[in-house]
Amino acid sequence: MISEIITMNGYGLYVWLSFGITFLICAIIFFYTKKTLKKYERELATEINKLPSETRIKVLEKSKLINQILVSQKKII
Amino acid sequence: MLNNFSHNNIFFVISKLISFINSIFFPILLISLTFAIVLSPPDYLQGDTVRIMYVHVPSAWVGLACYSVMFLLSVCSFIFKIKNFSIINKSIAPIGLTFTCLAIVTGSLWGRPTWGTWLAWDARLISMLVLMFFYLLYILINKFISDDSFSNKVSSIVIIIGSINIPIIRYSVDWWNTLHQGSSIKIDGTILIDKSMLVPLLLMLLVFLLYSALIFLMKYKTEIIKVKKKNINRL
Repeated sequence: MISEIITMNGYGLYVWLSFGITFLICAIIFFYTKKTLKKYERELATEINKLPSETRIKVLEKSKLINQILVSQKKII
Repeated sequence: MLNNFSHNNIFFVISKLISFINSIFFPILLISLTFAIVLSPPDYLQGDTVRIMYVHVPSAWVGLACYSVMFLLSVCSFIFKIKNFSIINKSIAPIGLTFTCLAIVTGSLWGRPTWGTWLAWDARLISMLVLMFFYLLYILINKFISDDSFSNKVSSIVIIIGSINIPIIRYSVDWWNTLHQGSSIKIDGTILIDKSMLVPLLLMLLVFLLYSALIFLMKYKTEIIKVKKKNINRL
C-alpha cells in the first residue's frame, strides 16, 4: 500500500511535485511573513525607545496599539 | 460606523485569531492530507493524477476569491474613502498572487499527464495568467509609488479594470471550446463530483482558507505597524 501511495500508479512525480511545490511555497511565505512582522515590531519598539521620555509617555498614552506592540516585544525578548 | 473600526481595537483580536488558527491548523491539515492522498479513490479515467485537483482547485478558488474581495474593497474605498480598505487590500494581494501562481503551476503539472502538454493556449489558462499579471501590477504599483494616496488610487483603478477578467475566468470553459474540463461545482448548486472526492476537496479548501487567514492577519498587522511607524512623530 505504501509503494502504491509513493508511485501513484506511475503518476507519483506529478502528484508529489504538485503537493510538494504547494506546501514548500506556503511554508516559505509563512516564515517570510512572520519574519517581516517581527522585524517591523522590533523597529517600532526601537524607535519608541529612542524618543525622549516625555514624548515617549505622550505617544504611549495616545496609542494603545504601540503599547501592545511594546508588550509583545518584551514577550519575545 | 466603519470609521470606528479602529486599529487599536482590533490589534488584540488579531493576535488572538493568529493563536487560534495556529492551534487548529495542523490537525486539520493532517486530516485533509489523509483524505486527499490515502482515502480518496483514483478517477476512473485520469487515475491517480486526479489527486492534483486537491491542491489545484482550492488554489484557483482562493486566487479568485482574493481578487473578488479586493475588487469590492477598491470600489468601497472609492465611495467611502476609508484608508483601512487599502491596507486590507495590500495584505490580501500577496496571498492572491501566491495561490494564482500555484494554480497555474499545479495545473501545468496536471496537464502534462492528462493532456500531454505543460501549457496550452487555452482560454482558462490565459485568463488565469492575466489575473496573475493584475496581481503583480497591483503589488508593483504599491511598492514603487511612494505617495500613498496616489498609489492607493492607481492600484484601486487597476483592480477595478482587472475585475472584467473574473467572469471571463469563471465562464471561459462554457463560452469557448477548451482543453480545460468544465466546472464540477456550479454556482447554482449543481455538484457533478462524487462525495468521496468532494469531502477531501472541501477539506483542502478549508486548509487553504485557514492558511490565507493566517497570512492575511500577519500581513495586516505588519501594514498597521508600517502606518504607525510613519506617523509616530504626529502622535
